Order: sequence, then C-alpha cells, then structure tokens
Amino acid sequence: MNVESKIEPLATESLCPRCLERIPAERRCEGGEVVLVKSCPEHGDFRTPVWRGGPALSGWSRPKAAVHSSVNHPGTQRGCPFDCGICPGHRQQSCTVLLEVTGRCNLACPVCFADAGRENGTDPSPETIAGWYRTALRRSGPHNIVQLSGGEPTVRDDLPAIVRMGRELGFPFIQVNTNGVRLAADREYAGELRRAGLFSVFLQFDGTDDAVYRAVRGRPLLAEKLRAIEHCAAAGLGVVLVPTIVPGVNTGNVGAILRLALELAPAVRGVHFQPAAFFGRHPEPPAATARVTLPDLMGAIEEQTDGLMRVEHFRPPGCEHPLCSFHGNFLRQPDGGLRALTEHTPPCCCGSPEPENRGTGKAVSFVTRQWAAPADGDSIAGMDSFDAFMENHRINTFAVSAMAFQDVWNLDLERVRECCIHVVAPDGRMIPFCLYNLTSAEGKPLYRNKKPSDWL
Amino acid sequence: MSLSEEAAAWNCSACGGALEIVKVGFTYMKGNFEVDLPACRACGLVLVSEDLATGKMADAERILEDK
Repeated sequence: MNVESKIEPLATESLCPRCLERIPAERRCEGGEVVLVKSCPEHGDFRTPVWRGGPALSGWSRPKAAVHSSVNHPGTQRGCPFDCGICPGHRQQSCTVLLEVTGRCNLACPVCFADAGRENGTDPSPETIAGWYRTALRRSGPHNIVQLSGGEPTVRDDLPAIVRMGRELGFPFIQVNTNGVRLAADREYAGELRRAGLFSVFLQFDGTDDAVYRAVRGRPLLAEKLRAIEHCAAAGLGVVLVPTIVPGVNTGNVGAILRLALELAPAVRGVHFQPAAFFGRHPEPPAATARVTLPDLMGAIEEQTDGLMRVEHFRPPGCEHPLCSFHGNFLRQPDGGLRALTEHTPPCCCGSPEPENRGTGKAVSFVTRQWAAPADGDSIAGMDSFDAFMENHRINTFAVSAMAFQDVWNLDLERVRECCIHVVAPDGRMIPFCLYNLTSAEGKPLYRNKKPSDWL
Repeated sequence: MSLSEEAAAWNCSACGGALEIVKVGFTYMKGNFEVDLPACRACGLVLVSEDLATGKMADAERILEDK
C-alpha cells in the first residue's frame, strides 16, 4: 500500500541517543515507510522506521481532545521529558498504573526492559507499596488498572497480601505481570492470588516452541507456561498471553501463538504482542530490520492466520497515541471460526473529538471485562436471548492487541505526552512507561534508578 | 409485569391496534439475536420498556463496546 502520498511530514521532538538532549525530529514518509528522522548538533543524524506499510498512518487515528491532570506537580523546568511526574503538558490521564514491587527475578532474560535478573536485593516494604497505591489513587483516582510488575513479582512471598492491599484501598482491577514460573511450580498459588482479589495474569509467552524461549528467556519454558495457564484456569484467573516479538526469533511464530491461544480460550482471554524495544546498552543504532512496526505485526497476523484475523479488523487506540498500539476483538464460533467484532474505518472530517478521558474510561472498562476470567457460566440453554447473547460474548470474546514501546532511537515526545501507562517511581512521581525504562545508547537511564535530584 | 401484561397495557401509537408478543430481531455491531417483545404486527412498531432499554439492552451494548 502506498502511504507516501497520504501522510505529510510531521514535526515532533525526540532525544539524542548519545547525550539524551532534546532535539527536533520529524516523521518523514520515505518509500512506503514512515521514518523518524532527527539530528543532534553534536552527535549527528539518526533514522528509525516507525510505520512500515499499510494501513496508512494518515487515517490511523481517532479524534481526541486532550485531558490534563497534573496533581501536585512542582511545575516544569526543562520541559518534556525531563521533569515528568505527570507534568501539566501531559495530554492523557492514567489508564494503567504499574507498581514495580521487586527488582528481583527468577529468570535472566537477554531481553529485559526492567533491567532485572538479580536474585537478591531489597524489595520495597509493604508500607512503601501502600504509599505508591495511595499516590496512584490521589493522582489518577481508583478507576485504573493496576499492574504489579518487577522484576518478577511472584518472587515475593507476600504478593497475595500486596494484591489484597490494593483491592482494599479501592482499586477494582489488579493484574500481575509474570513469567509464570511460580504459577507453574505451585498448583495452589494461582488460587491464593485469586482469593486475594487478583483478576488477571499478564503472562509472558513468547512462542509455541522452546527454541524461542531459549533465545529470548535463556531456557526452555513452554511446558511451564502451559502448566501456569492450566493452574490459572482452575483458579478462575484470566490469562493474557504477552509475546515479546523479536525479529528473526519469533516473528514467524505469531500465527501459531494466536492459534494456541484460541485453543486455550476462554481461560486465555487474548494475546497482547509487544515488539521488542532497545532498552539498556546498545552503542550502535539498531538495524531497520531489527524493528517490528505495528503494520508489520498486523500483516504477519493476517498472513500467519490465513486471514482468520485481517489487517482491517484492527483499530487504533482511543486512549494512547495512535502510533503506540492496535487492537481487535473477535468472537469464537462453535465451528472453530472467528467473527471479527471490530474493524477500522478511517475517521471522516466531520467526526467530533472524544475527550481523552473517555478513551481512558473505555479502555479500563474493556480491560476489566475482557482480561478477567468469565464468571462460571450458566448453561446458555434456557436463557432469554439477551442473556444468552451476553453470556456468549462474555465467554467467547477473544482480544488481540499490540503495544509498540519507544526507546531512545524512536522516541517521539508527541507520543509520550499521550501516554496512559504510568509507572509509580520510588519517590511517588508517575512516569510514562517508556520514559521510565528509556536509556541512552550507552545504557544511561533517563529515570530508572535515579534520585529525583538527579533528574533535572 | 409480565410481557403479556405489558403488551396489554399499551396500544400502537400509529394505528391504535393491540400489541402482541412477537420475535423481534436485534442487530448491534454485527451481532444478531431475537427477543420476544410486545409489538404491533400491522405497523412493526416495537415497545421497548425503560427497564429493558436501561437494563439488558444497555448491558448488551456495553459488552460489545470496544476500548
């Protein structure tokens, strides 16, 4: 598809990968690709593909009006992205709040945005975590998804108590982001988490073949993943499979992951793909072929599912920036087929913008409904048609989505300002996920592991 | 109030005829299903009570709502 004629170059800002200074950038259309081009007076030019092929980026959006919510922010000094917290220039409120409850991990993945992997170390105390929950409540309100992350959160024996604490403080939906190792090893553990008030497990699931796990996670893990899913299903926890997509490793496994996920539904509620980003030390610019853009992924899904899911079934987000994600919903049919519930229609000129907090509300509402396990179903037989219709959709809706994280090479500050996934930093500031994990080419972090006094 | 009691309590606003319980087809975001509701066979007008509109119909709409 020719996107070149449909998109104008667009000025934005980024950071220099070498010195982390803010520099002008431009989204430039070149031969069917949109490339982020930027230039540092000291360190030269940088180019990163951000959108490759169709659907055309020019029609890939949903009109939104900005929502500003910066509670108790001390005020901007250097501007985005240096005095985040969230600052008054931010255009979106939180939809998902991440709490990193440990820096420890029981795997040592070559790919880790959180720079985890240490078996020892000090975890934040329950009192500290309670303070983070209260910060999130004060700054974003209770109507957020809380994701407990790390490190690997299940290495903490008190994780069920942390879940319970969040529920008691008023958060309606808590999810754990996990590699599943403990959930697989301990049959009772999923039940403990469910009884504590957990709804959903965001399960790293990079492929249907152990060669993928050896490459991405350092050891074979498929059997453990499947056992973890079985234990979650028995406990009534919804499972979302989360593949990190690495070119040359599992880009050809996308269709197989989706087919396996459909076989494991309704316990598996959907698949959320995350193309790998370059956090940590990467002295040289990643090759263009090392990037999986959202259209690359949509195309791979269509091709590898033999058209069961098609590019036009996927929609841009109503919450975060359009360059950051896509999603589509499908209804599983009794004959094993799928019926798409979503499709993308490029907006017409007369559409009125949705306030961005409406998009946030819809995203939270959808996720809380879809990513939790369906309630134990009554038999549809004998229900009235409305009830049967709803029960069928509750059980059989399958969600496919992807989120393109930004690293220092493809960072686009317009995207950052619309981010709705915020990490509560140790001092209580709320930082957009990508900024929190962002590092320079030499591995120097912008925010992570830095004291607030070092930030400005 | 049962459906038949509800049907008996209303008349068609277009023709004044009595309402009967008929199968009414619903289509929303590519989903189709049929529900028994009071309707006028002659005019095709259907009675959607406030309870239904704000109850199960709203629930069905929400369950299909995308993010």
